Amino acid sequence: MHIVVCIKQVPDVPAIRIDRERMTIIREGVESVINPLDYVALEVALDLCGKEGGWIDVMTMGPPQSEAALREALAFGADRGILLTDSAFAGADTLATSHVLAKAISNLDPLPNLVLCGMQTIDSDTGHVGPQIAEELNLPQVCSVREIHPQGDSLIVKRLSDGFLDTMKVTMPALLTVTHGILPVRDLRLGELETAFSQKDIIRWGIEDLGLAEDEVGLKGSATHVWRLRTPPPRREGELVKGSSQNLIDHFLHKLEALSILDEEDGYE
Amino acid sequence: MHLDLTMKQTVIRRTVRKYAERRLAPAAVEMDKTGLFPQDIAREMAALQYFGLEIPSQYGGAGLDAVSCSIVIEEISRANAAMGLCVTVHNSVSAYPIFSFGTDAQLARFLVPLASGEKIGTFCLTEPNAGSDLSSLETSATRDGNDYVLNGNKIFVSNGSVSGINLILAYSRPDGGEKRFTVFIVESDREGLEKGPVEDLMGMRGNPVCPISLHDCRVPKENHLGGEGDGLKVALSTLNGGRIGIAAQALGIAQASLDVSIKYAKERHQFGRPISQFGTIQNFIADMATRVEASRLLIYRASYMKDKGMNHMKESAMAKVFASEVAVDATRFGVQIHGGYGYTKAYPIERFYRDAKVCEIYEGTSEVQRMVIARSLMMT
Amino acid sequence: MGMNKSYNGVWVFGDYRNYFQNRVTLQLIAKGRDLAHKLDTKVTVVVLGENVHQYAMEYVAHGADDVMVAEDHDLKEYHLEPYADVLFKWVKAFSPEIFLAGATAFGRELFPRLAKRLNTGLSADCVALEVDADTGLLIQTTPAFGGELLAEVITPDQRPQMATVHPGVFQELPHNRDAWGHIIYPEIDTLPEARVEVLRSRRQQAHNINLEDAAVVIVGGRGLGSKEQFRLLFKLADLLEGEVGATRPAILAGWAEEDRLLGQTGKTIKPKLLISVGTSGALQYTTGIQGAETIIAINRDPSAPIFKMADLGLVGDAGTFIPMLLEVLRKRI
Repeated sequence: MHIVVCIKQVPDVPAIRIDRERMTIIREGVESVINPLDYVALEVALDLCGKEGGWIDVMTMGPPQSEAALREALAFGADRGILLTDSAFAGADTLATSHVLAKAISNLDPLPNLVLCGMQTIDSDTGHVGPQIAEELNLPQVCSVREIHPQGDSLIVKRLSDGFLDTMKVTMPALLTVTHGILPVRDLRLGELETAFSQKDIIRWGIEDLGLAEDEVGLKGSATHVWRLRTPPPRREGELVKGSSQNLIDHFLHKLEALSILDEEDGYE
Repeated sequence: MHLDLTMKQTVIRRTVRKYAERRLAPAAVEMDKTGLFPQDIAREMAALQYFGLEIPSQYGGAGLDAVSCSIVIEEISRANAAMGLCVTVHNSVSAYPIFSFGTDAQLARFLVPLASGEKIGTFCLTEPNAGSDLSSLETSATRDGNDYVLNGNKIFVSNGSVSGINLILAYSRPDGGEKRFTVFIVESDREGLEKGPVEDLMGMRGNPVCPISLHDCRVPKENHLGGEGDGLKVALSTLNGGRIGIAAQALGIAQASLDVSIKYAKERHQFGRPISQFGTIQNFIADMATRVEASRLLIYRASYMKDKGMNHMKESAMAKVFASEVAVDATRFGVQIHGGYGYTKAYPIERFYRDAKVCEIYEGTSEVQRMVIARSLMMT
Repeated sequence: MGMNKSYNGVWVFGDYRNYFQNRVTLQLIAKGRDLAHKLDTKVTVVVLGENVHQYAMEYVAHGADDVMVAEDHDLKEYHLEPYADVLFKWVKAFSPEIFLAGATAFGRELFPRLAKRLNTGLSADCVALEVDADTGLLIQTTPAFGGELLAEVITPDQRPQMATVHPGVFQELPHNRDAWGHIIYPEIDTLPEARVEVLRSRRQQAHNINLEDAAVVIVGGRGLGSKEQFRLLFKLADLLEGEVGATRPAILAGWAEEDRLLGQTGKTIKPKLLISVGTSGALQYTTGIQGAETIIAINRDPSAPIFKMADLGLVGDAGTFIPMLLEVLRKRI
């Protein structure tokens, strides 16, 4: 089996601060991490290769420092990393991103049986790239998979979609996006990180290697643009109560009375 | 001169940080409360190769460079100083000396189980009458046929009560002459080795520090580390390496204090605004941050020199004395910034405060470090 | 802008599965009318399936000007490829300017594929839509960075401008029996084979979990510490006549079913009272609850982000608080 896992290096979103005056993200001091669901995709790939035999390419489109994400993925057990990097790729929306990734995948020899992606990223949250790669490569797709069982040249997958638990059969080559809970994400052994850097290969491809034109990629190849950013409506911040459990309970009950969820008691402090 | 972490070191940092925040930070609260060593976490960390940091992969270690090692210790200690102590002691003053000075037979017998974490290691130095004054040590090793018989009392042994392998610094009189330092590898299950009760300490609670005493403990000569009389060389080299680890540990504590102090200062409002807007608090934070950064650079430099095989005795001592004092100051200011809440157990800063102090004492007090630095500069 | 004059109409994908709970199509029709009015055009709903005439009628009654229906046995189940095929051909034939769908799981799987085929822009899970007065472009507001910021996205050149919309953002128009609209049955070509075979499709256990309608919702997070502690929330819910929700970490820990998930990848609710217990307040969770009228939060950590959006914050250990609270409430209620 030849599996390609698409990963993305994203900012550590919970650590992000917003400069509300300049309407920008403050990236300083914010670590880059691999998108959480991409780890799950990687574990799925490792699990399938463990059962069926095979090898794993891990691929990402990003600035040169995205190589760190690939190295980490190699430490997990992927065999080879493919870094798609070029200044022309910057500013891409999902349409342009999926185009670059799809072109890179179609450049592989042999072609993969399976392309795996995390269902969505914590920074853009669209969940579009997987389906759009599938469309460009004309692959059948199933999203938000939570269980996978190989069966010959097919995969039996389960997923929850709008309240329905679907059991589906998809013949490879195919693309799947995965959701939380399929497999636990392992902790990395420190020695594996050492070998990922010293012993494994990373291929680097730019716009020319992929045979793409400037207007197909990056900002120029994007159909959507972020016109501007704004802050969500301010959240409330009410009273903060500390102290004994009894004190907390008193405040809690007062609130419920104020909302008429509880009736007021006589002689109540 | 390259003053930036390599990509590998960056990825190592974030990998360890992720694990530390998830597993070690929550455990720290429990460890501090109960004083109990978390065997399950130790097993987990062993599987992830935290007990063979600098040991080459052929012995089952992770094969990391010294800078990466310092990063690992810092990140562990930032979440859980007691575990940071466990890992650094095991690696730098127990496993590493065996790697540096051991015979092939010793590497196979002792290094492999240490690297895999199957056995935890210690280095037993301090005695009731010998702290900074190592020459006063009273633990003796007397040759008897093919064995040595060890007698003495070691105190304040970090990792003591869970260790499987102990390096014992003793003296011998080779050829019946002068006292010479000598180091032995003594397995915990050897007859004549006795462990005392775990100490009830101010901080680093959960690290099982205890006394280890030797009563006619017989060890074969195969357990002698380094040549006869090479004990001083082994001891000094070991202490040197250990210093960087302790400095990294202190740095982790200082960084943790800085992080929680910044967070608190931004959230705490007094006089109608966050206290982060007051000059006094800003000065505290600025000084803390500057000194933490300086500690880091000293530690990286000493580590770098170790990687390059350069003599780094002065630089290790500088890193250790500076970083440990920064940790004590940072935690003191940290509690101050937190005000009354900093004195309660609801916030971690009081634990950091208690943890930091010992960094100025163990593995060579600040006074000893200064002596080392001054001597290296002014002795002829 | 000249080339875009040939694109006309606001289309809405008729997502009729789970109709009584899933009102998003009706919500989009209402918003679609608003947009269409500004663009001087009409709202058309597209419905694919078998025996779907009833839905077409519903959509007219809720404000659709036109409904385009594809009736075919092979469209009976929601299938990605046949649906994408029909919609692609219709869009090509009829050139709508805007095409909206609810951000249901199916919508979020279908629309990117369709947008790619059409080589046009698509924004996901929008929380606001407006027509810009100057440019006439659809301003699509989507949450970015887990909801920390809102991004206003535009599709300047490609058409149609596509967007999936978060359910519950817009208000549906009331059912109007006298509403009038065209229901059309355009031709469809032979449908492609679905390459994904659905072996089984089972509606999830009917626990009758109705988080969206409950007046009181109690949400449990990882801070509860154990499944036993989490289960106590059900007793609290009984006493307060409420429902129980959960955050992703609690579900991953196996303490609650996926149906109870609140937040970005779960449900969005607006109860009268929301009690958030042992939750730190990660944005992926709080986007699902910030519409609640009153929020009470309980957490051990005074600096937990959840307190920034709670009307009443209680700093304490949930494991101690909840059992004590249950004791006190049992005596009162």
